[in-house]
Amino acid sequence: MTPAPADPEHWSARAGAALAGYAEPLLRAVAARLVRPRANQPADELIDKAVATLANPPVVDRRLRDLPDAARALLAVVGRSGQPRWKVGHLLTLVTALGHPEGFAPVADALAAGLLFPELPPGRPPVDDFAAWFGAAGVLSAEVFAPPTVSARARGENLRLPDLANPDREVGGAPRTADGLDWPLRLAAVWQQVGAGPVRFTQADTLFKKDLQRLQADEVLAAPPSDLPVRVPDPGVLALLWAAAAGLLADTDGELTAAPLPAAWDAGLGPTLAGLLAALPRVEAWDPVAGYAPSDTGLSPTPSAGLLSLLLLAASPGWVPVAAVAGWLWDHHPSWAGTLPDGGRAAGADWVAGFLLGVAYPLQLVEAAGDLVRLTPLGRHLLADGPEPPTPPAFPQTLLVQPNAEILAYRQGLTPALVGTLARFARWKGLGPACTLELTPEQTYRGLESGLTLPMIVQTLTRHSSRPVPPAVADLLRRWASKRERITVFASAVLVEFGTPAELEAALARGVVAVRLTDRIGVTADGGEPTLGQLRLVANRDYEAKPQRCVAVADDGVTLAVDAAAADLLLDAELARFAVPVPPDPGVSRKSRLDPELLRRAAQQSSLADIDTWFRDRTGEPLSPVGRLFVLGPQAAAPSAARLTVVRFPTAELADGVVQWPETRGLIAERLGPTAVAVAEDGLEPLRRALAGLGVALAGPD
Amino acid sequence: MGPVGQTHPRLAAKLHRRVCLVLTEDAVLAEELLARKKLAAEVAGRLSDRVLLVRPGRLDAVLDELRKMGHTPQVVNGSR
Repeated sequence: MTPAPADPEHWSARAGAALAGYAEPLLRAVAARLVRPRANQPADELIDKAVATLANPPVVDRRLRDLPDAARALLAVVGRSGQPRWKVGHLLTLVTALGHPEGFAPVADALAAGLLFPELPPGRPPVDDFAAWFGAAGVLSAEVFAPPTVSARARGENLRLPDLANPDREVGGAPRTADGLDWPLRLAAVWQQVGAGPVRFTQADTLFKKDLQRLQADEVLAAPPSDLPVRVPDPGVLALLWAAAAGLLADTDGELTAAPLPAAWDAGLGPTLAGLLAALPRVEAWDPVAGYAPSDTGLSPTPSAGLLSLLLLAASPGWVPVAAVAGWLWDHHPSWAGTLPDGGRAAGADWVAGFLLGVAYPLQLVEAAGDLVRLTPLGRHLLADGPEPPTPPAFPQTLLVQPNAEILAYRQGLTPALVGTLARFARWKGLGPACTLELTPEQTYRGLESGLTLPMIVQTLTRHSSRPVPPAVADLLRRWASKRERITVFASAVLVEFGTPAELEAALARGVVAVRLTDRIGVTADGGEPTLGQLRLVANRDYEAKPQRCVAVADDGVTLAVDAAAADLLLDAELARFAVPVPPDPGVSRKSRLDPELLRRAAQQSSLADIDTWFRDRTGEPLSPVGRLFVLGPQAAAPSAARLTVVRFPTAELADGVVQWPETRGLIAERLGPTAVAVAEDGLEPLRRALAGLGVALAGPD
Repeated sequence: MGPVGQTHPRLAAKLHRRVCLVLTEDAVLAEELLARKKLAAEVAGRLSDRVLLVRPGRLDAVLDELRKMGHTPQVVNGSR
């Protein structure tokens, strides 16, 4: 799970890890500025002291005061965003827009002061120079983070942004404020969809076409948000990318899967929206005008221009025309105008309207009146250190469960926690002033798989409904839940094998195991480790480790004796592929015998090489010669029988001579050994005569 | 439970760790699963009439196949 951005302990540990990735001279230089140690201390102690210093507000304040203005502004922006981790390119863009066009210098100053840290991949060589690290990592991928203990102290820095409020403009109509639920609902819907089927990214880190089309066409995700004064392009894509950035989805090697919902969702709407605001700068491939906009050649303007738009409102207490925000960005943002489609400033106003009204307004950060916007109390709390707004009144009974298994959810009573729980077991069907969900076997099953129980599901529906759950619906849920009980898959269980059925009975009675699998094997209810204090372990097998040697091949090459203590449960099934059990003898280890027919069939289904591998793993030797005879015999050329006479010489030299001499060479059928040759029956007399010519008398046969 | 103070002798046992298996409600259901060729290929053996031993590393393939068959297996993660 992605840690909550504001979790200080997590970020302190990361700061320590980053410092451990510095070369020692650089570590000492950084520590000298941050910790100011009096004596020469070991590197480990310096790291510990540096991490402790980061949690010391008065010292952090002093170190911040020592920084140049641009570096302080950079850390202030990080603090205001709520997101500790940023691409260096975005930070340089932000400080440039804020009037500090000094390139990498502000980042380098904050890094050198030990108030900002590079994101270092594992296994990277130690960093000995920040500029060299930045050059190697590249502007598109170099990332840094500022621990929240630092950025929280820096966020009060005056960013010298103008007050864009126009006191002469009258507010037309009643200001509108959203309920803040629109994006949590969409993120929950996309989380549910990813839970049903993971989303993969291409090698270029873009969505596959079928996933993109699904997100663009999905009736829930693509539906226009209710009460929204502007069109949001590709809201489903934004929901997916945002959910990933906010930790609702886990990214493992380019595959998004549903993760447990962040703890902030249980803490109420304010913390949920604060978490989503903090995650927003991590959304790169979406643009308020273009929609899905992946790019591997340039930085997306969305994180920097989006945050600046909000910071401009934070600097303006009154109502601000959207066009004024766009105008400021046009004049100050170094790259945003260049990314706008044809249309110049008008397109810029569309972009800002798309972001502020399409993203920030539903997030309850901004209230709108025509083309005028200003921060809401929540927006002012999160972005301008305003007071925390009061918690809205609760309306817990906000669901209506209908006999057709549909649920109506009235938004005024929804909370992120309820949205998250509903998303686990009911399928989102429509998002509007009253949302609709549907109870389905598949989603009920996923809910149960996520850790919910049937009573928890029924209790959620009962507690939040104004009427009792219809009996037919309760019955449906019961039937779906019981269907799940028909098959249990133990993904990685610890099986306990006892010597006798009586011992398994005793273990069941004592609660050592809970489920009987065979007459001697049991398992705990959750497949986990049994209470070892009740057991005397005689053997231990790990089924994901290399197979263990536990079979001995007898001298006859066909009998396989099993070492029962070392054997595992897979062995019998494996043996049955090419051997048949031998009737057991009392007191003798279990045995099997190679069966020619089974062995041949196994070789046809896999290969002799596979069989050899099994024998090497289990016996330490390849298949025995007898086994090879069983397999290869029928395929080889037919052996031939012939009558030959063996002639044995007193020395190997004489035998060599006979084999070499042209007069006798043709008479030798086969060299049988150093001193023996085989001669065909009709060659014996010619050999005897040839040898006699040399004075060698060949005796026999008698 | 025995009387207070009485301790049971430890039971000799062999542990088989990180085993992946399928436990069915009845033997007929196990037969039904084994009749499915793709699923049978992932089964290393049958521990009993209700317990199928899955080949190491084939959990996801087994779950996919079970779900394709319309089953909703309860997945117990055990020592994972």
